Amino acid sequence: MGAPFDISYVFSFLPKLLDTLGVTLMIVAGSLLNGILAGFLVALPRMYKIPVLRTLAGIYLSFFRGTPILIQLFLFYYGLPEILKLVGLDLTRAPVMFFVILTYGLHTGAYAAEMIRASVAAVDRGQVEAAYAAGMTPYQAFSRIVLPQALAIAVPVFSNLVIALLKDTSLAFTLGVMEMTGKAQTLGTLTQHFIETYLALALIYLAISFTLEKLLVVAERHLTRHEIRESRSNSLFRLKKRGSLRTVMADIDIGKGGIR
Amino acid sequence: MIALNQISKSFGRHQVLENISLTVNTGEVVVILGPSGSGKTTLLRCVNYLEKPGSGEIAVGDFKVNCAQARRSDILQLRRKTAMVFQQYNLFRHKTALENVMEALLVVKKISFAEARKRSVALLEKVGLGAKLDEYPSRLSGGQQQRVGIARALALEPEVILFDEPTSALDPELVGEVLEVIRSIAREGITMIVVTHEMGFARDVANRVVFMDGGVIVEEGTPDDVFQRPKEERTKQFLRRITPEANYTI
Ligand SMILES: Nc1ncnc2c1ncn2[C@@H]1O[C@H](COP(=O)(O)OP(=O)(O)O)[C@@H](O)[C@H]1O
Ligand SMILES: [Mg+2]
Repeated sequence: MGAPFDISYVFSFLPKLLDTLGVTLMIVAGSLLNGILAGFLVALPRMYKIPVLRTLAGIYLSFFRGTPILIQLFLFYYGLPEILKLVGLDLTRAPVMFFVILTYGLHTGAYAAEMIRASVAAVDRGQVEAAYAAGMTPYQAFSRIVLPQALAIAVPVFSNLVIALLKDTSLAFTLGVMEMTGKAQTLGTLTQHFIETYLALALIYLAISFTLEKLLVVAERHLTRHEIRESRSNSLFRLKKRGSLRTVMADIDIGKGGIR
Repeated sequence: MIALNQISKSFGRHQVLENISLTVNTGEVVVILGPSGSGKTTLLRCVNYLEKPGSGEIAVGDFKVNCAQARRSDILQLRRKTAMVFQQYNLFRHKTALENVMEALLVVKKISFAEARKRSVALLEKVGLGAKLDEYPSRLSGGQQQRVGIARALALEPEVILFDEPTSALDPELVGEVLEVIRSIAREGITMIVVTHEMGFARDVANRVVFMDGGVIVEEGTPDDVFQRPKEERTKQFLRRITPEANYTI
């Protein structure tokens, strides 16, 4: 179906799709911001084992990790205004983008919460005790000893998280948001060059993912400069060394990114 | 001077310390001996409130706290008058040797960077690590890491340094260098409480030896008293087990 394949269309579609890159990136950035905030709010009761909040956090995690993002989008977009109507809040005029960023934000928050919890837990307790023994306050111990190391541990997971989010935003068109995938569909329908539009689209996603990944690798290298670094060929087959940061990173699997 | 008065501690229903009283005079080195599980670590950790004692009193210098009603500010005060050297070193892994020693000077004592650096460099030189200032812990041997740990404790200029088996995580060939450093600071008159299984070290360095078992102090005295003329049967048994040759030397 559609018009015969013509590679030149790929190139002419690229700039047209890139016009909507801003929308995609806005969803990514807004959701990340919300997600990290939500992640902290959900991770804290779990880390400090606060009774009721901890259970609520568990339910939140199960819901957002256990149901498809597409269904979450529909539930929030169609369901939330109905529920809020009951308490007298009118959301029917809220822009679609509001629901999109809210849903992706909460979705990302579920994975961010696990990332935060696992990264903080991976910094060994002994260092915190050493900080306390030296007279540091809990806040000083967290901000000066735990946080910098937890950040370093979180980077690879964070990297997966961002890339997964980027790819997930391609579903926002289902609510009628003109982000890149939505635009690609429109272009395809107009010109009947579907394969070319999707090829151009894939190229763009690939380029962004690749850039993000490289940036985060640089960040990771910077944050883990205190660890002995093995050459890449070694590290693929190296034996596990107890307590090494890289082992810990490899062991944190929040189940997001990669093959889904 | 530090004085522990009637310290008790339970984990759940398991009483680990039972009315422990111990006074350590300024400049004194007290070695605590005892079988595994006798509560030595817990006692040290109670002194700086890494474990919360159930009851009792702790006095360090002129500062005194009743454990049952310690406030957060009391705990901070107590910790600022003591320092600890850990079995697993517990260095800050994202900081260099120098930064490890400087950290509390900057953050807790709040002295200037230049001054903190000067003091820390001097301390690292003293423990023989003048050439390793900018190394991260992951690039140091266990013995070197523990010496950084000791420099870090010294930097706080505490009233007492608590050592919890400072050499038991080390490869045997690295034990000597760490004991040598501890010996040299003991000679400088720094007050210390040392939990160790190194009998030779205890004999040379300790002013007093305390033998613990089952959460109580069974016996204490000079190294000669405890090692050569132990009074309690439990002490004798322990010494026989840990130094088989003691059977012949007595
Ligand atoms: N955090 C803890 N929770 C429960 N029990 C503990 C804890 N720490 C130590 N214990 C128990 O207290 C006892 C004394 O332990 P410890 O002070 O480590 O002995 P030592 O250092 O003499 O080997 C042991 O029976 C140990 O199992
Ligand atoms: Mg112990």
